[in-house]
Amino acid sequence: MDTGPVLRLEGLTKQYGGVTALDDLTVAVPRGRIGLVGANGAGKTTTFRLLLGLARPTHGRVEVCGIDVAHDPIGVRARLGYMPEHDCLPLDQSAADVVSTFGELSGLPARAARQRASEILDLVGIDEARFRPISGFSTGMRQRTKLAQALVGDPELVLLDEPTAGLDPLGREQMLALVARLGTFGISVLMATHLLDDVQQVCDHVVMIDAGRLVVSGATDSLLERTGTVTVDVGPRRDELMARLAVTHLSANVVEGLVEVKIDGDADMDMLRDLIAELGLPLYRLSTRLTSLDEVFLRRSEVLS
Amino acid sequence: MSTTDVVGTGAVYDRGYRPYEGPRGRRGAATFALYKASIRRALGLRRSWRQKVAPFVLLGVVTIPAIVNVGIGYVTRNELFRDRIAIITYREYVGVSSALLLFVALVAPDVVCPDRRQHVLPLMFARPLTGFDYVVAKVGAIATILFAFSFGPQVVLFVGNMLVSNDALRYFTDHLDIVWKVPLAVAILALYYAVIGVSVASLTNRRIVAGASVIGLFLVTSISSGVIVGEEFKFGGGSLAALINVLALPLYLRDLVFLGHIDPESPLNGVNGGGFFAVLTYLVVLLAGVAVLLYRYREVEK
Repeated sequence: MDTGPVLRLEGLTKQYGGVTALDDLTVAVPRGRIGLVGANGAGKTTTFRLLLGLARPTHGRVEVCGIDVAHDPIGVRARLGYMPEHDCLPLDQSAADVVSTFGELSGLPARAARQRASEILDLVGIDEARFRPISGFSTGMRQRTKLAQALVGDPELVLLDEPTAGLDPLGREQMLALVARLGTFGISVLMATHLLDDVQQVCDHVVMIDAGRLVVSGATDSLLERTGTVTVDVGPRRDELMARLAVTHLSANVVEGLVEVKIDGDADMDMLRDLIAELGLPLYRLSTRLTSLDEVFLRRSEVLS
Repeated sequence: MSTTDVVGTGAVYDRGYRPYEGPRGRRGAATFALYKASIRRALGLRRSWRQKVAPFVLLGVVTIPAIVNVGIGYVTRNELFRDRIAIITYREYVGVSSALLLFVALVAPDVVCPDRRQHVLPLMFARPLTGFDYVVAKVGAIATILFAFSFGPQVVLFVGNMLVSNDALRYFTDHLDIVWKVPLAVAILALYYAVIGVSVASLTNRRIVAGASVIGLFLVTSISSGVIVGEEFKFGGGSLAALINVLALPLYLRDLVFLGHIDPESPLNGVNGGGFFAVLTYLVVLLAGVAVLLYRYREVEK
C-alpha cells in the first residue's frame, strides 16, 4: 500500500465573489483516521468539494491519494467515498438497490456491486431492513445507509461530513465505532465535524481550521498536552482527602465527584501519593489530566487571530 | 458468523470487510450503470406494480393499431381487394408514436426530478461521473424506451403483414426500404422527445410541475402554430410558423425520410426550403435542449 500522505493541500485558497472560504491552506496528512475540525462555516464542506474536484480552487493545489485533483478529478473520485451531511438518499428505493446502484456507479460490475452492497449493509448493521424503502428508515439507519454507499466502491479514502449529526447517543457511539473500525480495513477516513469529542474518540490525526485558515494540524496525541492537574478518585471518602489537602500548599477542587489537584513537579506528586497512603484511602484512579481538543482549538484560534 | 456488541445493547452483525480486487470501470461503466438504473426506474422495474402500469399500458395502446391492421390483413387474406385495405401505413405509424409524448411527460420528470429534490446529485458526482455523462445516461434511457416503444409495434406490423401476405419473401423484398426508414424516423422522434422531456424536467425539482410543463409546451406551441398557419396550407399556402409546433416537428423529418420531401398535406406544404428549415429547426431545438441540460447538470462549480 502507498504510504505517502493521503492528502496534500498547498496554498489552497477558495473565494466565492468577495468571500474567502479557504485562505492559503497548506497541510499534508498521513493515512489513517483524520478529523477535519472547525466551527460551522469554517470551510469544511468547501474543502470536501475541492477534494472531490467539484469546485476549482482560486489558488493552490490539491492532491488526494497521490493524484493531482486538477489533472485527474475522475481518477480521484474513483478512489474516494463520500458521505454528505444532508439527506441524500432516494427515499422510494430500498437500501439494497441504492447501495448496489452506487457500487455500479463506482465502476464495479453489476454482480460484484450487488454482492458488495449486501456485505457492506451487513457491516453497517442494516440487515433485513435493506429491502424496505428508505423513506421508512430512522435517522440512524439512513446515516448507516449513507455510510454504506460511501464504502461500497472500496475507497482508499472516505470523506464523512458530520457522520453523527442527528443521531441519539447510542446511534452516535455505534457510528463512531464503525468509523474507528474503517482504519483497520485499510480505508483512510477524513471526518469533518464540529464535535471535538467525536474526533478525540476516533481520529489519530487532527486538522483544525477556522474561518478558512489552518489553526493546527498534528497527531491527536501530540496535541493533547499535560495540564498540571492530577485527577484522583478515592470514592466517597473524597472529603477526607480534601480536608487533609487544605492544610498543605496544594490547591484542590472536587469536579464531578473526582478530586482535581494542581501539582508542580514530582515532589508534589510524591506528597499527594503519601497523603493518600497515610489516610488509608482506597485509590481507584490517579491520572494526569490532558487538555481536551476544545481547549487546544480555542487556545490556538486565539493565537491565530 | 459472529455478533459483536459495539456499545451497550446495540448489536451489529459483523461479517468483516473484504477489499474489492476485481475489475473496475471508469466513466463509461458509471454512465452505463446510471443508464440502466434510469431505464429500470422509467419502466417501474424493482418498484411497486403501480409504477409499472403507465409504461406498459401505453405500450399496449401504441401496439393496438399494428395488431388490428395485421388482424384485418389475416381476415381478408383471400379477398381480391385486400391490397386496398391498409388501416395504417408505416409512415403514419411513426405519427402514432407521438402519443408517447404522454409517456415522456410522465417518466422524464420521474427519472431526473427526484435526483435534485432529494439531493442525490452530489452523491452521483462524487463518483467517476461528469455532468455530461449524467445527461447522456438520462436522455439515453428515455430515448431508448421511446425507440423501443415506437419500433416494437412497427416490427409487429411488418412481421404480421409479411406473414399474412401471400408471399412473405416477396413482401419482405418489396418493402426493404422500410427496414431502414422506420428505425431512422423512430430514432429521430425518440431522441427529440427525450431531449425536450428531460431538459424541461431538469428546470424544476417537482415532478408534477415538470410533467405539466412538458404537456403545456407541446399544447401551447401546437395551438399557436395552428392559429398562425390556419387552413391555407391545404391549398399550398403553408407557413414556416408550422415549425413552432414542437410536437409535430419530428414528423416533418419523418416525411423527409419516408417521402423524400415535405408531405403535401402538412402545414409546411408550399414553403420554399420547408424541409431544410424543418431539419434546421429540429437541430436548433435539440442543441438548445442539450445546452440547457449541460448547464443544469454542470458538476463543477466555478
